[in-house]
Amino acid sequence: MPSETPFQINIPDEKLRILRAKLELATFPDELQDIGWRHGAPLADMKRLVERWKNGYDWRKYEKELNQELPMFTRDIDVDGFGALNIHYVHKKSETVDAIPLLFCHGWPGSFIEIRGMLPLLTASSPKHPSFHVVALSLPGFGFSEGAHKPGFGLDQYAEVAHKLMISLGYNEYVTEGGDWGFLVTRRMAAKYGGKHVKAWHTNFPMADPPTWKSPLSFLSYLLTPYSAEEKAGLERTAWYRNKSSGYFVEQSTFPQTLAYGFTDSPVALLGWFYEKLVIWTDDYKWTDDEALTWISIYWFSRAGPGAAHRIYSEVYGDFYNLGRTSYPTIPMGASYFPKELLLLPSAWLRRLNNVVIESHHKSGGHFAAYERPEELTEDVRKMFAKGGPAFAVVPGKSGYA
Amino acid sequence: MSSETPFQIDIPDEKFTILRAKLELASFPNELEDAGWKYGAPLADIKRLTERWKIGYDWRKYEKEINEQLPMFTRDIDVDGFGALNIHYVHKKSETVDAIPLLFCHGWPGSFLEVGKILPFLTSSAPEHPSFHVVALSLPGFGFSEAPHKQGFAIDQYAEVAHKLMLALGYNEYVTHGGDWGSLITRRMASVYGGRHLKAWHTNSPLAKPPSWRSPLFFLSFLLTPWSTEEKAGIERTTWFHTKGQGYYNEQSTQPQTLGYSLADSPVGLLAWIYEKLVLWTDNYNWSDDEVLTWISLYWFSRDGPAASLRIYFELRSDCEDLGQSPTIPMGASFFPKELIVLPAAWLRKSHNVVFESHHKTGGHFAATEHPEELVQDIRKMFAKGGPAFAIVPGRTGYA
Repeated sequence: MPSETPFQINIPDEKLRILRAKLELATFPDELQDIGWRHGAPLADMKRLVERWKNGYDWRKYEKELNQELPMFTRDIDVDGFGALNIHYVHKKSETVDAIPLLFCHGWPGSFIEIRGMLPLLTASSPKHPSFHVVALSLPGFGFSEGAHKPGFGLDQYAEVAHKLMISLGYNEYVTEGGDWGFLVTRRMAAKYGGKHVKAWHTNFPMADPPTWKSPLSFLSYLLTPYSAEEKAGLERTAWYRNKSSGYFVEQSTFPQTLAYGFTDSPVALLGWFYEKLVIWTDDYKWTDDEALTWISIYWFSRAGPGAAHRIYSEVYGDFYNLGRTSYPTIPMGASYFPKELLLLPSAWLRRLNNVVIESHHKSGGHFAAYERPEELTEDVRKMFAKGGPAFAVVPGKSGYA
Repeated sequence: MSSETPFQIDIPDEKFTILRAKLELASFPNELEDAGWKYGAPLADIKRLTERWKIGYDWRKYEKEINEQLPMFTRDIDVDGFGALNIHYVHKKSETVDAIPLLFCHGWPGSFLEVGKILPFLTSSAPEHPSFHVVALSLPGFGFSEAPHKQGFAIDQYAEVAHKLMLALGYNEYVTHGGDWGSLITRRMASVYGGRHLKAWHTNSPLAKPPSWRSPLFFLSFLLTPWSTEEKAGIERTTWFHTKGQGYYNEQSTQPQTLGYSLADSPVGLLAWIYEKLVLWTDNYNWSDDEVLTWISLYWFSRDGPAASLRIYFELRSDCEDLGQSPTIPMGASFFPKELIVLPAAWLRKSHNVVFESHHKTGGHFAATEHPEELVQDIRKMFAKGGPAFAIVPGRTGYA
């Protein structure tokens, strides 16, 4: 019995009905005068989005678009100690037969949708640049992938799922692209499966780890060191993130179930929590209301429910601060720096601890780089693997060219 | 024109209709196997409480009880730079004419309800112990007090409201008891109004400097020092709170409105958010479902909604993290082992004018709810004849 099935998103009418019923009952807090974005998304934005979600936003239209644009499948992947999880993924092959197999790994509050801008570019064939066969999974618990049912599903397990997916698709050797959790997952993959299977890895969320980056006093000292203007801005952005924008992180990594109750019961709760990130983590990205609502609807309608995805924070939490020292990959790494990313540390730190073969520093763009800057990020990935590039032909027999 | 009005809670029927409609539509997440309390309240608890809230829980019954047991009022209090806020408070006088005026100040996720169990004891008259005239306000943004409408309503403003309320009631000189935010606010009152108006202050959430207690390395050094068993347990508890218990604090002090959207729209979300604290912050207190639902309903039905109560975290964050100067007026401290921050009493004594201390073997963050008799005992001892703060309010010894 085959365990790969073509997949089309088809949310049952009942779920749409329940969403509508809850939105009809939506109740809002008041708001302090002139508060703007200081405490979260402004009330006017929230009311407008809820109104649109209730009346006017057509999920079926966007569901259809996703189904048409993204060739999707599901497949059972067996995870040691956890049984089989049914994994949802996008899989698009290039016309170039020897295209480089590339795994794209999203994070939170992202999803498989983040590949949609890059997908046609990465798979495009041309003598001028390498081509890729692209696999973009929904991490367990996200999108339409089954979530883990018991505690202990940590970074090794997420990495195992992604790796086994590639193997099961016949991609014994491959490269990766990841941001946010996708960075952490692909870094673990690079450490565990690097060399033999993962040949090179690229990220838009380069994290360098001295563990002491957690200390506010350390940041103060860095500000006194003669860093470049870009580095100073990056450190300030990092300090802002740590001091002003990490509440979600601490709650999600300590009491995810508490949050799950609100997210599952209230689309407004979900919208408030997620929309804030979509705006403050991007570089002035002009979200349309429907675009934001589609991102959030993916969570609302997700297979495991809106309360499941962020368990990744608590399950990996213990691992997070330990994953520096013993798991630095040695395989070639590429890093793209975008100025409105959340953690922006001097690139020298990354180079000190990783085998960085290519870097690019952008003048605009934020946390969801694949979505905000698909052309720029594709350029970066292409350059890494191009003829004459530092990781050319790193996957034997799959140079990405005809 | 008097701006004091007797107040009775009378939630409009419309609010019930909305609550019931939302509860009818309640949807629940799944739960990891054997999760227990590891990630938040267990699913079975939340489902049971939601079911009870929907069918069986009778708010009107508890509303009536509160109205009967707690004499309540409202009064406009003018706050410099913020205009007048209408403040809701409990006010019960003792039969002892010269009872000591005492302000009781709650925190989050508490309320004026926390005075309920101790009120009859504090106001009762007897030759064996002092009596108190008790005022228990709802902080602005909590219960039935109006919330501030603009930014910058910080610790000085909360202190100003509480102080002016006491003055407005004719209590020019008074004492205080506070826990959680109530502790920080009464501590500021003690600094700003201490001596002249506020004569002594008591708390069940004593906080001590130095600010660097937040550093993990500091804690490591304590484990190497020969602390007492009690102190070690306190440091473990504090470490737990610091490493595992800061999520709500971080979110509420940075993005209160983000969370506010959830608490305002979803009674289940509100229930989960607060119930987790009611259990984890107490010392095996046997909450009845109705007791929990009454606490949560108060937030749901509060005058300015549950989101307003979160803003205190954002506005007072720096006051939380830098305690500033210590007050010099006499202080009493009750130590309960399952409080959230339990620091060695020596630190408190080093930086405050501690005249009374008690160390309890059980009890947590909500001392007035969990151990009302013990808390009352402590307060009485502090102000009793022969006690360290006896007759500290001139002419109001608390005795006939």
